[in-house]
Amino acid sequence: MALRFEELIERHHDEIFAYLWRLTGNDGRRDAATDVEDLTQDVFLRAYDSFAGLRPNSNHRAWLYKIATHCAYTQLRRMKHRRDKLSLLKHSAAELETASDDSSSRKDMEQRVRALVNELPAKQKACVTLRYLQDLDYPEIAQILSCSQESARANVYQAIRHLRLALEEEK
Amino acid sequence: MTKHRAKDDHDVVTQLRAALSGPAETVLTPSRTRVKKWFAAEAPLIQWGEMSSPLGPLFAAVNQRGLCALDFGRQESEFLQRFDNRARLEKDPKAVQRVLAQLREYFAGDRSSFNLPVDISQLTPFQRSVLDVACRIAPGQVWTYQRIAKELGRPRSSRPVGGALARNPIPIVIPCHRVIASDGSLGGYSGGSGLKAKRWLLRLEGAM
Repeated sequence: MALRFEELIERHHDEIFAYLWRLTGNDGRRDAATDVEDLTQDVFLRAYDSFAGLRPNSNHRAWLYKIATHCAYTQLRRMKHRRDKLSLLKHSAAELETASDDSSSRKDMEQRVRALVNELPAKQKACVTLRYLQDLDYPEIAQILSCSQESARANVYQAIRHLRLALEEEK
Repeated sequence: MTKHRAKDDHDVVTQLRAALSGPAETVLTPSRTRVKKWFAAEAPLIQWGEMSSPLGPLFAAVNQRGLCALDFGRQESEFLQRFDNRARLEKDPKAVQRVLAQLREYFAGDRSSFNLPVDISQLTPFQRSVLDVACRIAPGQVWTYQRIAKELGRPRSSRPVGGALARNPIPIVIPCHRVIASDGSLGGYSGGSGLKAKRWLLRLEGAM
């Protein structure tokens, strides 16, 4: 039996929310939860509009992730623009330095990692999130990001490398 | 990649997972509720129910306009598959109570026509006009496909008339079983077990 839209919500809402949360909502803003909620609603609204045209044997999960990624990219651009305008980037760097003063603290380390992830290019951020936080495999990631599996692997590699080097530098 | 480097990368992934663990349930729940609420308001509601009948399990569905689907002698999943996959399906015996009560009376021989609002708006204007004509055939009578075509002013359209009758979403209530071929044979029937069901219905109505 073909998948119904209400089943799509039931099965995938939580993981799509978690994906958007990881991509756009982890920078400590007070209104982050509301923004991710809006974004999740937008994803399901767009999905609803084009659901009827989807082939029954399509990979619905990958399709939903693809819409979510597009929405997240737009949001990340908007956030970057806002950050640039308010020079919040400096604030983020200062936060990073402050955090480094107490390297023994687990919370500080997590904060550092989040700040570093937020500085990654959007595609690397999406790839590493899909692979290691959403636990998707490379064929699915390639489908979501409309790229080859090699490109997805390369982006994950670059992201991990960048994080490793940055964390080593801070030690 | 050296073993040392692989271990470092593994450590980075572990740190990444710790730093970006998923959102808390307190953040997830409002979003889940909001999306479900939006869907409930946006998606058309179809309520359905079932009963046993002499022709096998019978399913009926209503939307806000009226009875929109009826079928019998099939599996529940087959029946539900016909609906727009964006619609909200709810099994609600109360919503189809009136439909099923009239059908029970019909099968018992106590009713020959139905008094129910129906919705066939998903069909083309031609298909709707064919079904409108079929509704004029009195119980116990049979018309030919050609006669319906003539009634519509399209005497050479017997075959499209047959096609339109085959797409009748509400058999029995819209009595497409009362239409037969010009040579006296039963023609076709898409409801339930096909011609066997058509014959059974015509016998019940005294047309055979």
